[in-house]
Amino acid sequence: MSSESQALFTRKATGLVREAKTRDALFYNLLWSSVALTFAFYWLFFAFYPGANPYLGFLIAAGLGLPGSFLYAMLTQVMPRTGGDYVFNSRAIHPSVGFAGNFSYCFWLCVVIGVYTTYFASYGIGAWGRMMTGFTGSGSWVEFGDWFSTDWGLFITGTVALLFSAALFIRGGTRLFFKVQAIGFGVYVIGAFLLPMVVGLFQDQAGFLASFNEYAANLGTSGAVEALKTSAGEAGYASSGFDFEMTVKSVSIFWFIFGFIYSSSYFAGEIRMTKGTHLKSMPGAVLLVVVTLLLLMPAFLHVIDYDFNGMLGYADPAAYGFAAGAPAYPELMAIASNSPILGTITILGFSIGLLLWLPQTLLLVSRSMFAWSFDRIMPERLSWVEPRSRSPLVAIGIMLMLSIGSTAVYAFTDWFSAVSALLGLSLTLLITAVSGLVLPFRQKAMIEGSPFDRKVLGIPLFSLVGGLALIGFSTAIFIILWDENSGASLSLNPGKLKLALGIYVVAFAIYWIARMIRKQQGIDLSLSHRDLPPE
Amino acid sequence: MGLFNKNKNKEKPVKVFYASDIHGTEVLWRKFLNAAKSFDADVLIMGGDLTGKAVVPLVAEGDGYVVDLFGERQTVNGEEQISELERKIRGKGMYPHRMTREEVDRVAAMSEDDREDWFAEVMLKTFDSWLDLAGERLKDSDASCFVMPGNDDPPGVEEAIVAASGVEACDGLVVEFNGYSMVSLGYSNPTPFDSPRELSEDEIIRRVDEMVTRVPDLSRCIFNLHVPPYDSQLDTAPELDEDKNVVMAGSEPKTVPVGSTAVRDVIERHQPMLALHGHVHESAGAVRIGRTLCINPGSDYHTGRISGCLMSLRGDDVKHQFVNA
Repeated sequence: MSSESQALFTRKATGLVREAKTRDALFYNLLWSSVALTFAFYWLFFAFYPGANPYLGFLIAAGLGLPGSFLYAMLTQVMPRTGGDYVFNSRAIHPSVGFAGNFSYCFWLCVVIGVYTTYFASYGIGAWGRMMTGFTGSGSWVEFGDWFSTDWGLFITGTVALLFSAALFIRGGTRLFFKVQAIGFGVYVIGAFLLPMVVGLFQDQAGFLASFNEYAANLGTSGAVEALKTSAGEAGYASSGFDFEMTVKSVSIFWFIFGFIYSSSYFAGEIRMTKGTHLKSMPGAVLLVVVTLLLLMPAFLHVIDYDFNGMLGYADPAAYGFAAGAPAYPELMAIASNSPILGTITILGFSIGLLLWLPQTLLLVSRSMFAWSFDRIMPERLSWVEPRSRSPLVAIGIMLMLSIGSTAVYAFTDWFSAVSALLGLSLTLLITAVSGLVLPFRQKAMIEGSPFDRKVLGIPLFSLVGGLALIGFSTAIFIILWDENSGASLSLNPGKLKLALGIYVVAFAIYWIARMIRKQQGIDLSLSHRDLPPE
Repeated sequence: MGLFNKNKNKEKPVKVFYASDIHGTEVLWRKFLNAAKSFDADVLIMGGDLTGKAVVPLVAEGDGYVVDLFGERQTVNGEEQISELERKIRGKGMYPHRMTREEVDRVAAMSEDDREDWFAEVMLKTFDSWLDLAGERLKDSDASCFVMPGNDDPPGVEEAIVAASGVEACDGLVVEFNGYSMVSLGYSNPTPFDSPRELSEDEIIRRVDEMVTRVPDLSRCIFNLHVPPYDSQLDTAPELDEDKNVVMAGSEPKTVPVGSTAVRDVIERHQPMLALHGHVHESAGAVRIGRTLCINPGSDYHTGRISGCLMSLRGDDVKHQFVNA
């Protein structure tokens, strides 16, 4: 036994020191929140938000997500089991609600995987091929690169990336994945953030424009900047002053980061973390992303201003030499660097960020599937772990098939925009906020035994944070439904809301049918989360 | 497994509720005892690690007590406030202990062995009250309640269980209920924590093998072995370095199997119908080793919820479902 002042006397027993470090949880949340991809989205779509202020946009998004990050940290602390929102909502509201919310979340994660795979093809490998021609003048590179932006190029490349992710688990399990992830994270930070910041600091707009012209000349178009201006003007582009409404609507893009920065909550079952770890790693990730954007944004705008980005959105890419499509943030920073080596590192870092997200998501969804199977809603086979690799291969296999389907949808159709899955994903956040709101009343004993058993202005702390998160998440959903460019707006895409709600109907049906079948087998699913009275 | 399989066996099932690793959390013990009524269980089995890991001194100061809890110093006055605080501390799996400043200093200055003895004394006082509660709660119940100590429980716990009236001791014994035999062992294989009840792998094999010779029918036998079988997915825990910190691989904890090779060996050789385990809190699950269904419900003791498994035994068939109640 050891003594720790007078606060506590502890004795020899197992498990007293199993605790993950804040740094590692923070690292995980940062990697999953896709900051570089969202930054690329923002500038690709900037033309559709004329007058939007990016600083105000991401700060509003961060403000809407911050209470949620506290709520997820607190929920993870009091319910540290694998499955995240599935566990929170099952216990706080009802198992059918927990399952429906989590099922929907996993469905939309499968959908959004198609964004990552196709962006990897077009703005990763495709952009790199074009960049090599842009810097060397060799036409074969551009042909190589452009193929990746074709429908089949997107699909085949995305599918290969997914198969590679799955192979990682089959070959070496989660252990190999985490080793690869650790190295990849370094390349991602250097290539997608640090290098562009340095380039932005030392390059200026005149230098960038000269470089852009030279680059486009190698692609076969001279006077590209002027051609861009002409094409954009013909398409109706005009400079705009600050527009608050557009700024608020642009929040739907930044929500891609700040609505989903709590992924470490899905892994709490495997490792206990202290109160401090969760509270630092989730809200801490929000803060760190804000700091990153506060550094990256001015560096980017220092070389590529609002007008240039706006014109890229309006102009016909073929008019200024980029026939396969407008360049995204990593390629633009590669051009700004005026160096194929620095450009390669930038695009590589960006691509690695996309690639790492794939196995991370396969794993996250497989965790949820494990939790469904553990509670007997789904067949046990779903949680089967292959002994050699220690990977849940059945769950990963199902995810793989759905993800390839999503890649096909993004490659061959325009059913979904890059951020339209945000609506479905955010509905689950909304349910979790309600769980936080009602938890002190539904699970009194759980709160009493937790470090969050206190009131602020007479309101239970959990309810207060849950209420604030509810406001944040509701506002984000309102913006997504309001923003015509979100791909899920009520005015232009009413079908997306119907689809999002339809997924819930399907999930509820699955739960109640499973419950009926299990009942016949002598298994009562209603008992899984029923509170046993202590008295 | 089979989601759509219907059970055609008409024999009346025996309902068993199993939980483990409640680590001194009184509310969980109370919930465990109530499971007989709430789940209509015929048999309750507590698979070890009943006692807690920490004593929280309530230091007498003036008319009240001062306590450092969850990083905050609080002063409580009056029996009502003090009792409420003690209840909260017990709810976290720790033992509140009213002490003078001098006693605190005396305990802090004790040798490691002396402090272990002092700790056991404090724990056993609380544990005796738990056993009294079991006697009260179960006196009119038809349910059998088997309790055994785990590797973390100090000497004295086993004796207290044997002497208690409401529960039946089973550690190191073969017990019978409703036509089934149960072989129990609460010791673990060696751990990095040097816990009080550890055995070598060879000794675990020897003890289990000896008990199995007294089992009439292994197809209706349950192994109640605190430690899970090695490399079974029920024994996956974070790897620890020499300072007992979690080893990280990238952004996640590196995990390794920490179960017992001996337990795996006896399950593989004897193939009982069911094997119940605890010990590794973060590795809940159900797997089959040959025909044996092996179960570890995990433990969430510090959240005030009991992680258990409700099983329905019919002939040599087991249906199970996890509950977190």
